[in-house]
Parts: sequence; C-alpha cells; structure tokens
Amino acid sequence: MRPDPHHARYPFFTAAREAVQAAAIDPPQLVAEDHPAVERGSERVERALLSGTVASETPDRWRARDELLSYPVARVLVSLVDSPAAVEKYAAAEAATAVERFREDFERGGDGLRSVSTPRVDLDDVLREFGLDAAVDRETADRAGDERVRVDVDAYLRLSNPDWGDRWRLVNRELAAGRVRLERGDLYRLLEAAVRRCVVEGLPFDVRASASGEALADALEDEVATLRDLLSERDAPPARDVDTVAPAQFPPCVRALVERAREGDLPAHSAFSLTAFLTAIGMDADGVAAFCDLDPETVEYRVAVLEDGDDVQYPPPSCETMDAYGDCVNRDERCETVSNPLAYYAAALDDAEAVEEYDT
Amino acid sequence: MDRRTREYLRGRFGDYYRSADLPLPPAAEAREWGHIPWTAGEGTTMVRHQSLLSLGDLGTFLAEESPRHVYFSAARYDDPGETRMDRKGWRGADLVFDLDADHLPGVDPETTAYPAMLAACKDALLRLLDLLEDDFDFETSVVFSGGRGYHVHVRDESVRDLDSEARREIVDYVRAIDLDAEGLITTRSVDGTTRRVLRTEGGWGRRVHRRLLEFVADLREMDESDARTRLQELDGIGAGRSETILGVVRENPDAVEAGNVEAGGPGLRTLVDALVRETIEEETAPIDEPVTTDTHRLIRLPGSLHGGSGLAVRRLDAGEVADFDPLVDAVPERFTRREIRIEVTDPGPVSLDGDSFTLDADEYTVPECVGVFLMARGRARKVKE
Repeated sequence: MRPDPHHARYPFFTAAREAVQAAAIDPPQLVAEDHPAVERGSERVERALLSGTVASETPDRWRARDELLSYPVARVLVSLVDSPAAVEKYAAAEAATAVERFREDFERGGDGLRSVSTPRVDLDDVLREFGLDAAVDRETADRAGDERVRVDVDAYLRLSNPDWGDRWRLVNRELAAGRVRLERGDLYRLLEAAVRRCVVEGLPFDVRASASGEALADALEDEVATLRDLLSERDAPPARDVDTVAPAQFPPCVRALVERAREGDLPAHSAFSLTAFLTAIGMDADGVAAFCDLDPETVEYRVAVLEDGDDVQYPPPSCETMDAYGDCVNRDERCETVSNPLAYYAAALDDAEAVEEYDT
Repeated sequence: MDRRTREYLRGRFGDYYRSADLPLPPAAEAREWGHIPWTAGEGTTMVRHQSLLSLGDLGTFLAEESPRHVYFSAARYDDPGETRMDRKGWRGADLVFDLDADHLPGVDPETTAYPAMLAACKDALLRLLDLLEDDFDFETSVVFSGGRGYHVHVRDESVRDLDSEARREIVDYVRAIDLDAEGLITTRSVDGTTRRVLRTEGGWGRRVHRRLLEFVADLREMDESDARTRLQELDGIGAGRSETILGVVRENPDAVEAGNVEAGGPGLRTLVDALVRETIEEETAPIDEPVTTDTHRLIRLPGSLHGGSGLAVRRLDAGEVADFDPLVDAVPERFTRREIRIEVTDPGPVSLDGDSFTLDADEYTVPECVGVFLMARGRARKVKE
C-alpha cells in the first residue's frame, strides 16, 4: 500500500479510512508485526493528552504509511483507556491539529508558496468531506482582503456552541435568507467542531468484543497503563487560561518578535502571531501597542480581527506555524517539550521561582 | 361544568368530528397522540403516549371518543406508543412556535377583551413570520390555536434534528434575548483607516439599518423644522445633534447607506442607538420559549376543536393570514345552523361570527356557536330547549 499523502495528514477522512480498510491491515496485525504505526499511535494519544496536538514530536521518523495506520491504533488505545476525558481530549487534539493543517494548506494555496511536493487540500475538499459543500457559500473578498462565508443556519447551530462566547450566539450573528455570515476564522472553528465530532463518533468501542480484540488489548496493556497514568497526572489547566504578563518567561520566539516589533521590523503575519500571543495572555490592544511600540490603530484593528468580541478567534500560533514563517528562533530546552509558544509560557510560569509581572 | 352542558358539548363535538375530514400531519404514524376527554370535575386528565396504531382510524376515533382537546407530538419516534420517553426512540421534531395572548407584553389577559387579545396576537404573528421567513428562510405553516393564539410549525428536514440548545438559540434570536447592541456596530478597515459601521448584511444589524434608512427617508421628506422636531423626540438627541444628523442625512447619504455611524460626528451613532431600542420593541416576537425548546411537545391537532372555546384549530394558507379573523373564520360551520337555549352565568360582552352581544345573567336563545363558545369558556350552561 502506498498511501495518498493527504491520508497521512487527515487519517479520519472517509477516503483514508477506506484505504486502510481496503488494505486489510488491522491493528492486531500491526501489533503482531511490531509495526512503527503502533509506537506512533501511542505517541499520537500521548501528545493529545499532554499537549493538545497529535502532531509527532519527531515527524521525520515516520513514513506517511506509519502516520496513516497510527490513527486506527490510536482509536484502539483511546478505547482501551476507557475514560470520557481521554476520548474528549483525544478528539479535541485531533481536531486542533487537523484545523492547523487545513489552515496551512488553504493559505499555502493562496500565496504562491505551495511547493509541488507538499500535498494539500482546499476548502472545498474539506467542506465536501463533512457534507458541508452545499451549506457554505463564499463571498468574494472585500477591499481589505477579508473573505467571508455564509453558512446554513442549521449547520451553524449544529456545529457551534453558544458557550464559545457572546459572538457565537445566533442573536449576535448576521443572519439573512437562512445563512449566517462568518469570517473565515470562524468557519475554521466550525470545521474543528466537525472534525471533533467525526473523531468522537464510535469512541470508545469495545475492543475486547472478539478473541483477536482480546489478544490485542492484552498486547497493548503497557501502552494503555502509561496513558492512564498520564491522564491522571495531567489535570493542569489549559494553556489559554494563563493571564499573567511576565516577559521574562516568554518563549524565545516571542521575545524575538517583541524585539523586532520595537525596531519597527515586523512583517504582518508575524505581527499577527505576536498580537495573538499577547492577547491570549490577557493584554488588550492598548497594552500590546504600548508594550511593543506599535501603532495603536493598527494594533486595534488586528485585535478586532483576532478577537471580535470576548472570545479569542485565532488561537496563538503553534510552534509548527511559527517555524513555517521562519519565526521559530533561539530554541531552548523547554521548546523540545511543547508544541506551541503558549504551552512554553505556561510551563515557564509554573517553573519560575518568582514571576515579575509587567504592568499593563 | 354541569352534566347537561358537558353531555351537550361532547355530543356536538362528536357531530362535528363525524362530518369533518381531518387531514393527518406528515408522518402521523410516527407521532405520539394525546387527548383530554370530557370529564366531570375541575381536573383534566391527558391521555397520552398513544400511537395511531392504537387509536385506529383517527376520524373514527374522534367521532366515537369526541374528546375535549386533541394533540399530536411535534416529534417523530420509532415507537410513539411507548410510555417512557427514553424508550420512544426520538427521530427528530418539527420546530414549533407558540404565540399566546397570555404572554404578550403590554396585554393584560384579565382586563383585555378577547377580540383585542387576538388582534395583538396577530401582530406578533406577522412579526414572527417576518423573522422566520426573511432571516431564517424557513417554510412555515400557520395554525390558529382555537384559543388565544397561533402556532407556527416548521417542518424543513434541516431543522428536525436540532437539539433543545440549538432551538433555544432560535428563540433568543426571535426575541432578541442577550442581543449585544454594541456588537451591531463593528470596526472595518477601509483603505488603511478604520471605520465604525453597522453590520448591515443580516441579523438584527440589518433590521436596525433598514429602520435607519426608512427613518432617514422620512426625514428627507420633511421640512427643516419638522425634521428637527422628529429627531429631538428621540432619547439623547438635542438641538445640536439634530443639526449634525440632518447635515449628514442631506450631504452624505452614501455614508448612511453604507451603515457608517461615525459620519458627521457622534450624532448618527445616537440615532442608531435609539433605533436599536425601537427595532427590538417593534420587531421581536414574544414566543413562549418552552414550547419551542421542548423537543417532545404535544401540539393541538389542526382541524380539531378547542374544548375551551368551541372554535376550530385552523390551518391558514400563506395568503390567508393577513385577513384571518379567528372569531369568524374559526367558527365551525356545523355550529352556525341553528339556535340553542342557554343560561348565562358570567355576564358580559361576546363577539362571534360577525355579531356582538352583551348578555346579562339570564336565559337566552342564541346562535349555537355563541352558546357553544360561552359554555366551553364556562360562562353559560345548557338549559332545556
């Protein structure tokens, strides 16, 4: 089997699952062969529980095939851990990672950076995958280059959650002719919910229902025990709850961005990354402008785009995205343990003996 | 209600059902059915968890049983006759809205006459339909409840599987509950500068914008001093602001058209804020929330009789809503053919089938529909002919 590279990135897509099925390779066989997909599947769940992502820490170690086959293995492991929290965290991590990749794929399509060797999906592929192709209409971009979409109100209600913030309440949306008008970033949030739902579907299942399943469960006992331990240890608050501004604990990439901003040398995408990070830790537009020596109006606009209400729309970028923009610099030891700058910052705050807060 | 009155109404309801041909709702066999029989005493007992299978032919059932009230479920089930909700196998539910004169703001059911309550309810119905059709693009089916209001059924397949929480979002939209008035205005970047503009593309922002355009069009029609007076009737607008607003309206109509609320200083923003309040007051519909959010609700069957009025629960065609007069159009024809003798116990005015009477506590010979109406409402009893 030579997997389609899309499948490795999006193993929950119907076509990917069918490819695995058609190849008649099942988890018991993989475990029996001690296939690398088993180790990668275990990492997948571990990363989901610890870091909220399923992306590998060592992507170069794995072939596309290992990636693809690690997904069914991960589902077996999550089922065996058999805890609602594990299913929840795992599905949320699959969804977060998928949306990050969607974003990269979509954006690469637009700015000419697309390389021939990089497989990518476009928005229509993704919408089709979730049966949303008829439910979403794209408006042409406005003069500022912002593109909006209109989503069928029933699809919107099914995928969104009023608890995401006032902005997400239907009453506060532009609803006309049965469609809700959204910014593109909000559509990504709905897609994340769609992925989450697709991953959750059928989890946990009864692995031990058959004799071969029984044997599989026994063979994976050690991995499952490790994951259970992680789950019980790891009830730390999520990184996005951090609301202390302590520049000394900023990750090196953010420190570099702040410096460049103060020197007046920051391209727009990097400025967005920096603004997203600083707003996520509780700074407002004025605070960001003062701290970074940036033009208050421009920052206000960026924050409006990022935040638009009381709910952070764009999560701060991951290490992967920072790297893609060339903003991942001066890596240190702690960087090896995290997948996004915010997680770095949260861990640094935890470990710091004394935290000096910046007065916003 | 005494025995003679009860037996009379039960008998006449049965006669009505024998000659009526009630259309079944879609997927009738997957619905739960319920009814309230004519029983002695104050208490009402709903017989529910019935399936069409257990009732047999609906027409025959209604003619023989002659119930006081008849209901069917908005939901469809695998096993509608199952008595435990969690075993019924919920397969989805129509989206149902209920407007009841009892819940209208500014209408006191104790002091407002029945015709006035129904008229107020009709206004609310038209607002609800405007929201459901224009904003939601739902296909609606309107039913007069036979009592004090209207039901609107939406059976689009796309809404059937919405859960209670999603339905609550629809209710809150229709009632503008938790509307973030500040959020109707957003920051937009145009050619490097930021602007505060109304969100005109849909939702409550679009409704406020429409009202703004109408208001401004009216202002343009007026002479200077009338326009100034009109503006100063609004909260927060004095002589100075009315001046700047009129300036913007006359010299910068494109800015108003585009929803730019900063054109000409803070004046226009004040006008918009006043119009937000007015829009919410005049365009929301005070629907009864639990009816919409309860996905297992029983609703009156169109074509059946309302046991508290003797009026028919009537489905209205789209073109029929505006001119529909429940006190004429929902009177069962069957009850208009003869006169009956009643004793009025609760005197007062009554309007029905195009006639108005004021009745004292006395015996009268009245058109049967009037007699049925008064007896069903507990205002009269049957006496010997």
